[in-house]
Amino acid sequence: MPALKIFTDSIAIAANEFLQFKRNRSAVLISLVLIPLFFTVSQGAGRGSAGSSYSQTANIPMVFVDNDRTMASVRLWQTLSGSQDFHRLTQASDEQTAIAGLGLKQYYAVIVIPKGFQNILVGSISNSTQARLILYTDDAEPGLTSEVTGTLTNYVQNFNPSIEVQPIVSELQLVRGRVGGVEIIRRGTSFPGFNIGLTVILAIVQIFAVFYEIAGGLSREREEGTFARLILSPMNISSMILGKTAFDLVLSTIRTFTVLGLGIVLYRGHPNTEIGTILVLSLLIALMTMGLGFLVSALKVGLRAVVILEFFLVLTLYAFSGLLIDKELLVGGAAVIANSLPFSYAFDAMRRTILVGRPLLSLTTDLTVMVASIVGLYVFSYVLLLTFRERLAT
Amino acid sequence: MIPLIRDTASIAGKELKQLSRDPLALVLTIMFPILLIGNFIVIGSAFRATSHDIPAVVANLDDSPASAELLNKLTTSRLIHVTQVVQTQAQAFRVVDAGAAVGAVVIPAGFGIGLARGHTYVVAQLDFSKATSAQIMSGEVRLAIRQVLEEAKHGELNFQVQLATVEVITIPISGRPPTGDIIMPGFLGIIVTLGAFDDTVNAISRERDRGTFPRLILTPVSMFSIYSGKMAATVVLTVLRTGLMLLILSLNGLVVRGSLLLVFLTTLLIAMFTLSLGLVISSRIRSSSTLTVLEIAMTFPLFSLAGTGQSPLLLAPGGKAIALALPWSYGNDALRRIIYLGLGLPAVGGDLLLLLICSLILMPVAIRLSTRTM
Repeated sequence: MPALKIFTDSIAIAANEFLQFKRNRSAVLISLVLIPLFFTVSQGAGRGSAGSSYSQTANIPMVFVDNDRTMASVRLWQTLSGSQDFHRLTQASDEQTAIAGLGLKQYYAVIVIPKGFQNILVGSISNSTQARLILYTDDAEPGLTSEVTGTLTNYVQNFNPSIEVQPIVSELQLVRGRVGGVEIIRRGTSFPGFNIGLTVILAIVQIFAVFYEIAGGLSREREEGTFARLILSPMNISSMILGKTAFDLVLSTIRTFTVLGLGIVLYRGHPNTEIGTILVLSLLIALMTMGLGFLVSALKVGLRAVVILEFFLVLTLYAFSGLLIDKELLVGGAAVIANSLPFSYAFDAMRRTILVGRPLLSLTTDLTVMVASIVGLYVFSYVLLLTFRERLAT
Repeated sequence: MIPLIRDTASIAGKELKQLSRDPLALVLTIMFPILLIGNFIVIGSAFRATSHDIPAVVANLDDSPASAELLNKLTTSRLIHVTQVVQTQAQAFRVVDAGAAVGAVVIPAGFGIGLARGHTYVVAQLDFSKATSAQIMSGEVRLAIRQVLEEAKHGELNFQVQLATVEVITIPISGRPPTGDIIMPGFLGIIVTLGAFDDTVNAISRERDRGTFPRLILTPVSMFSIYSGKMAATVVLTVLRTGLMLLILSLNGLVVRGSLLLVFLTTLLIAMFTLSLGLVISSRIRSSSTLTVLEIAMTFPLFSLAGTGQSPLLLAPGGKAIALALPWSYGNDALRRIIYLGLGLPAVGGDLLLLLICSLILMPVAIRLSTRTM
């Protein structure tokens, strides 16, 4: 009964993998604890909990220089300093001194109200001219310029100097938006930054750990000489592949729950789909990575090269498969690469299920590409491992 | 003192010789920054690109010249690509729900009449699971409306609407455009960090893997000389890496406004701190590949938390606290201030001193731990 033999051999291989893994405490710690922890905490700490919102500009020290000293400029100061986005706004009298102090990390932006601000503002109602204020920023802080500009624009674009209390810029107003007399009613759910990050972490943690466990594991066995012994045993290649796959699927399941647990408990992440769907998707990504791992190990790659390849695999996926930037934003060759990578479809499915709440089975294209690439990678790896097994054993 | 310097120089020479004899390690030392920067350039160019093809769908339910003009602005946009013009709002929303478009713009019936009266609206349905694309599309819809209104002021269509009352003029103090690159100094910092982690693996763990570390310790050379020799080798490699990176970044438009010497000093201090930390970790984790995986895993959070791509000031409170506790944040900050603002030692001295102190604390700890776990 060859099928039964393959099955029992696979179980034996998986059991052996578990035994070896259990004996290596640092591997257990890194694979199941540190990697999920590093990635989840860095996302959560950077973007904040899913349930909470924070203003990126609220606690940035800034200076307000009023060269106009009119009712309009005073009302603008009151509007900004009383808002939830400019908690650390202080006043300074001299524009040049304030600008000269930028870059020294005492404050990071200077808002200057030029002379004639009120006159232009009052005149703008009749002659369609626009008043201006000048924002000097410390652009040694990446992203600060665009963030402060955006927030300040939200406050001043509908500023009315003739009323004492300006309408507070609420989340609703920001969502609705307005250009002149045209209101933009924005539909579609905005997702907390952490929930978007959670889809990235779930995918990247699996790829990062699984590739090393499969490709690195086989390379180590080859370098230690145990691979040659495995090849000489009566077990066939398919048993080895299945056994290692079974072992790594268990680890991947544990990692999925670790990331989800950390995300939900620590950062109030809220997936918009069932745990089962997340697990299935996560394991499909793990299987794709395993297929790739077997393929790489069939090419007789050394352990150090595996680690370096892993680093570039993760970076490539960050760049091209929609993890960091949407693949819709890529153009030319980058767009072609993005559309050719099966991982792009897996990440897309991850977002559409976890964020939007689409049923997994409705994503037929994504699922087809994923399953086809898993089958393709496994078959190709099997053929290569079978063809080169003697070369790999020496 | 002289034997100490001599021994240190011997160890450093040995390290560099071993590296030159290992083609893979040598290639990686040189190729690593180039490949890494290649990836980042792709990411950066996607953000800075002046044209995209973000798929969008439009439903124009109005037949006024104003709605036709808005539709025209949307279809000729360089950022969004109107793939379909549909007849109903429901059809437009369905396209977005199916994932075939990032957003739908619905121009309602009566748009033109409302505009003439001074108040009207459009509906934008956006797929925020593609957050960046959705934000860009939202901005493009606003821009299209603004253009219609501005052109109308000078044309035949004179709408009773007023544009924003106050305009914000942004002037970054470096003199670079507000949309200029923001993360090149961060690249330099992260590559120096990765390189120094790689040096740790080469310096200790691979010696352990080969069994040469015990032999090295049994020589008359002191432990301090061994570690300072390895540090000296890292200093040489970091100078090479920094020079190479600056060359690549300059070809990509980076202008270093400050002292080049100070840039090299900062990268050296980042590398020394990273190596010191790596040596501490390597005293507990013996396998070179496990150590490399751990160090790479540690590097990824540094992208988001140590000021590489985003200022720590913009992070959530928890992230800000972590960033403040990471010495790399200070190194990256110093690099940005030297490169972008042209500031000198008085301005970044505190950051550099902190890196130096951290290295000086960690190095003896590494030596002590290595001796104990021999």
